[in-house]
Amino acid sequence: MAAIELDGVGKVYRDGTRAVSDLNLSISDGEFVVLVGPSGCGKTTALRMVAGLEEISEGTVRIDGTVVNRIDPGKRDIAMVFQNYALYPHMSIFENIAFPLRSQRISRVERRQRVERTAAILGLTELLKKKPSTLSGGQRQRVAMGRAIVREPRLFLMDEPLSNLDAKLRVQMRSEISRIQSELGVTTIYVTHDQVEAMTMGTRIAVMRKGVLQQLGPPQEIYESPQNLFVAAFIGSPGMNFVRATLVPEGGELACLLKGQQILLPRGVVDARPGLIEHKGSDVAIGIRPEHLSVSPVEGPTLSATVLRSEMLGAERLVHLSVDASPVMTDEMVEAAEDVDPTALSTLRTESIEQRVTLIARVDPSVTATVGEDVLLGVNAARLHFFDLETGATIA
Amino acid sequence: MLVLAVVFCLPLFILFSVALKAPEDLFTDALAFPTDPHFDNFSTAWESNTGRAGGLRTALVSSLIITGCAVTALIVIGSLCAYVIARRPGKLTNTLYVLFVLGIIVPFQLGILPLFVMFRKLGLIGTYLGMVVLWVGILTPLTVFLYTGFVRALPRDYEEAARMDGASTWRTFSRVVFPLLRPITGTVAILTGLFIWNDFFVSLIFLGGSGRETLPVAVYSFVGEYLTQWNLVFATVIIALLPLLLFFLIAQKQMIRGFSGGIRG
Repeated sequence: MAAIELDGVGKVYRDGTRAVSDLNLSISDGEFVVLVGPSGCGKTTALRMVAGLEEISEGTVRIDGTVVNRIDPGKRDIAMVFQNYALYPHMSIFENIAFPLRSQRISRVERRQRVERTAAILGLTELLKKKPSTLSGGQRQRVAMGRAIVREPRLFLMDEPLSNLDAKLRVQMRSEISRIQSELGVTTIYVTHDQVEAMTMGTRIAVMRKGVLQQLGPPQEIYESPQNLFVAAFIGSPGMNFVRATLVPEGGELACLLKGQQILLPRGVVDARPGLIEHKGSDVAIGIRPEHLSVSPVEGPTLSATVLRSEMLGAERLVHLSVDASPVMTDEMVEAAEDVDPTALSTLRTESIEQRVTLIARVDPSVTATVGEDVLLGVNAARLHFFDLETGATIA
Repeated sequence: MLVLAVVFCLPLFILFSVALKAPEDLFTDALAFPTDPHFDNFSTAWESNTGRAGGLRTALVSSLIITGCAVTALIVIGSLCAYVIARRPGKLTNTLYVLFVLGIIVPFQLGILPLFVMFRKLGLIGTYLGMVVLWVGILTPLTVFLYTGFVRALPRDYEEAARMDGASTWRTFSRVVFPLLRPITGTVAILTGLFIWNDFFVSLIFLGGSGRETLPVAVYSFVGEYLTQWNLVFATVIIALLPLLLFFLIAQKQMIRGFSGGIRG
């Protein structure tokens, strides 16, 4: 068990490329922290710097108060699970799991005991004599976990360990890793670009973009109170809906004006976000989660919308609706959207030209929504998020 | 396809057919099937050469020692060298690599004369050690070239995993990297082994008259002596081929995998 501290950590490659900038992260003993972000955001580089596989260009990494910048990876007492598992193909499963113990010169008897104990925890006992090439993806993943667990290290590092598994197995292994981590209580840093994995596994999530830490906090906090446009757009599935709006005064209150339609903001909303007053008369990005939109509402502000598509998912229904408004076309938005859908930029461009935005509402499956039907879309104004279009920061 | 197969098989058929014939049958119909196979040709060829300086048995032992030791040394030196060149890129290692590649391009026959003079001064002429040193020198560039290409294509994850598992550089190489090089090691062993085993020129110059001649040299002297007994010559050739065939049969899987590249697991 260990506490990890990253203090102003940065990574600049020889060709001048900056992968990580001024990363400050303090991880408590036994915590499960997930580094999440789109491809190329620097999360794996950060993990590799903690592991010692990547030289640290700036700042310090401390494990239990000791600076480990110049300590060899093997001497940091860290175990790592690689994306492709990196199981030694010429060794049996037993030998794979026992390999770190042999490096530590642990006696043959103790080695056997520890490997068998680990295999029992992971359900690998029957596979110990097999070679990695004969195992399924899930079994290989367990072996990789076994090789990490058997050492009883003070820190686990996991680099997208589930990315090679199919969706069903991924869900299963997700809970298994969480179970093992909580049972062993070993501090864990887990890297993923899958925000569902991040939300379900981490006690805290660190969202990264372009080598910079965007926000660090518990999953719920990240979801409900994103600190900027990128975090808001990246976290959540389906993602947050965004439209461009002008904050205008309306009878002593503030309202969001979208192409002739407006959403009146209750006094409580403005009181909770005094920054909105400073943005009076300016354009801002407003965001709302799909569950805070409703079709055919009883009360509250509404927008005229047309149903584009209705997806029945069993426990819920996702209704895609078209609203006359300007889309938000900032870099953060495009990057976050492209991580989910590579064609997102062209979609946003089309919407920008046509001055309409597609919103997704998560509603009860009993709600009927016919394609092409004009409906009133209820907006829970209290759950609106406001972002500065220049800086992308949340207006609070 | 069938025609091609026949073209490829014909020399083999002649080799085995002649090796099993009686001397008088050779001149009646050399290409016909042996009606009365003379398997004793093999024992005659083997026995009739033993006891001579550079006889078949001694030649076989010489070939085995020289090929075995040289190939082993090439694998050890070549793999270590290639590992450093592939994993520690820098001016020094890049220059070394270029020098090794140049070593493949320049024909070694150009250096035979000065090498011979030097080996004579060092007392290495006509010795197994001399031949092993010579072959290692000649074939190290090719070996390093083959190994370097393979190591460069090998994912670094295995080595990184071993480093994380606390293995030293040597242990990482010997326990993780070297076993992963098995396919290319098979290729290196076959290519260099074949080259050394079949060589006539170098063995004749550096071992000639020492009583430690290798098989090709021994077969050659046999041809001169029994020019009319082609059945015994061909039987000798088959005996000389056997160890090579055996080795190829054992290592062919590795060799093919080495050529095609890649690691499974």
